[in-house]
Amino acid sequence: MKTDLESIYLDHAAATPMSQRVIAAMQPYFSLDFYNPSSPYAPAIKVRRDYEAAKQAIAQAIGATADELVMTAGATESINLAFGSVSGHVVVPSIEHHAVLAAAKQHSHTTIEPDAHGRISVETVKQALRADTVLVSIALANNELGTIQPLRDIAQLIKETRAKRLADGDTTPLYLHSDASQGVGLLDVNVARLGVDLLTINAAKVYGPKQMGLLWADRHIVLKPQIVGGGQERGYRSGTENVAGTIGFATAMALADKHRKQEAERVGALRDMIEAQLTSAFPEAIVSGHKKHRLPGHLHISWPGIDAERLVFGLEAQGVLVATGSACAANKGTRSHVLTAIGLDDSTADGSLRLSLGALSTPENSKRAAESIIQVVQKEIERIKR
Amino acid sequence: MTRVYVGMSGGVDSSLTAALLVEQGYDVTGVYMKNWTQDLPGMKCPWADDLADAKRVAVQLGIDFKVFDFENEYRDKVVEYMITEYKAGRTPNPDIMCNQEVKFKLFLEAALEDGADMIATGHYARVENGQLKMAADTNKDQTYFLYRVTRRALEKTLFPLGDYPKPVVREMAQARGLYTAAKKDSQGICFVGKVGIREFLSQYVEQQPGAIIDVQSGKKLGVHDGAIFYTLGQRHGLDLGGGLPYYVVGKDMDKNEVYVTTDLNDKSLWKSDVELHSVHWIGEEPRAGTYAKRIRHRAPIVKAELEVVGDKASLKVVDQQRAVASGQSIVLYDGDVCIGGGIVL
Repeated sequence: MKTDLESIYLDHAAATPMSQRVIAAMQPYFSLDFYNPSSPYAPAIKVRRDYEAAKQAIAQAIGATADELVMTAGATESINLAFGSVSGHVVVPSIEHHAVLAAAKQHSHTTIEPDAHGRISVETVKQALRADTVLVSIALANNELGTIQPLRDIAQLIKETRAKRLADGDTTPLYLHSDASQGVGLLDVNVARLGVDLLTINAAKVYGPKQMGLLWADRHIVLKPQIVGGGQERGYRSGTENVAGTIGFATAMALADKHRKQEAERVGALRDMIEAQLTSAFPEAIVSGHKKHRLPGHLHISWPGIDAERLVFGLEAQGVLVATGSACAANKGTRSHVLTAIGLDDSTADGSLRLSLGALSTPENSKRAAESIIQVVQKEIERIKR
Repeated sequence: MTRVYVGMSGGVDSSLTAALLVEQGYDVTGVYMKNWTQDLPGMKCPWADDLADAKRVAVQLGIDFKVFDFENEYRDKVVEYMITEYKAGRTPNPDIMCNQEVKFKLFLEAALEDGADMIATGHYARVENGQLKMAADTNKDQTYFLYRVTRRALEKTLFPLGDYPKPVVREMAQARGLYTAAKKDSQGICFVGKVGIREFLSQYVEQQPGAIIDVQSGKKLGVHDGAIFYTLGQRHGLDLGGGLPYYVVGKDMDKNEVYVTTDLNDKSLWKSDVELHSVHWIGEEPRAGTYAKRIRHRAPIVKAELEVVGDKASLKVVDQQRAVASGQSIVLYDGDVCIGGGIVL
């Protein structure tokens, strides 16, 4: 994987570079194998077979079957399809991605609050469930903090509630949806092990193409198409199939599946090294997110009283690319809802950086990045003292 | 140490302004004036990117950075003024109003209130002993836009770019590695940006078809979509087909009629004498006599006889020059000193 050699990229949670293998796998489908998979002649039928095989590979990577997948143009569309398929009360954590929060607002909904580490407890979900609740949607891992949710336990609660409803003769459905986009490269996303009923994945977060995603729905769930037309994707998502995108997605998922464990360990060690360097240089810095249940590549760190946007610009000038954990001057007053939800005060939230490591991270550039951060933060502290 | 608040727009000029002041040993704070954030059809307002660029440069220079929010005041004092003037059939200059009301009044006051000793901007102009003087780069000179600024404000203002030609400013910005060194200059009225004034006004006034009339024959030549969009002397946008170009020689706002001619010698295009109102003098009121005048930014400077009566003045033409639309400003110079000016009646 190659990018601008000058820069050190620490924002894998925002976008990931496609690997050469993904690009190579996609390449033929832009020109040589450009055929519409619905066409009747042999070259098109080959494209259709390749497409189906790619979906099969993706399904395998999440422990599902291809006929339960709907390929979409990204996680936002998948989320819209999931929410658009139910009618009734929905439950979402307040720290979800805006795509989920906005979709929830289309329904009668309850937002539930995380603990100070951004974790949602089973008990909180339980209390929010109503007799007419049809959908609970909880991201596998939070995009800002990296906190991983106890999905299995929540899934157990959903199953028990469902069973109880049935025993009572109540046929109101109840599903658990999870947007696993943030965790997909580094965590187990097997649907059976997660225990979810619907799963969203964004290819762009796992070194696949952008505008490519999927919604997996357990086969007993009847989806309500949000995009109608020629009836592709079993009628759940019309429009000529994104063959190249799906092939790329499949390649990316296969690579992730193969290297997941060692990559999680590798990235986690680098993250821990950066965290140790920063917290020893600045004992007053606040690390947010769950200590144990946290994505191995994520580090959310705050310096109260510092303007994180200045840090981003200062680091950018040194070729280190990071995200602010919260607001920028252009949208003053709209701080990150995630940081507010976990109880960070404004001064801490405004002084937050989110570092997310991944394939482009190496021991050398991680060390250099930490040194740059220390230097830029030091400079800001001195400027403020002046 | 003198504390200077620099208006930083995210462009190369104000970026270098801040850099030069830092080098000159001032205690510099960068300020982004948030005046306008609305998107217009076909153009996203670039304010958030401009603000980020200004802040990037501030971080590069290691200076403090603030955002002053003048959005309401700007709308009231500049945008409302502009729309009202156009509706009345006149052709206002919002940049002049912005300098008078926002940059050298609100910004100055807010900066002083916040602890500044002086302000600075990236204008191409010079201040010497409270006098406003043309920039060394006469092609870039921006004193036309500054003639309504008060002497008191000028005494608290630094224009570090006044001595440099624009190409040199870009080189200096590049030499310092400023983030904005290669950024394109903004064009047109600051907040309208790349969108034309017509597109902007269309957001606020109904388009009303009216007649385009040949002033000589009295014949109706075609239809326009609102007299408000036409300005004296304007050549383009009449859409009257081939042949000689037509020029606007007048309009009747009540009848919504625009009068045009192909005769470049038409006397209304060369009105010799002009009455000014709302005159503003930076120093003392000038005595009657011959002065240099400029009818728009970058227009050639020509001579005129000035006589001031209270807040009005009359200008008798010495050198022949195209007529100026009502609402526009005529700015007067004594040598390279901008003494003030007024608005065409």
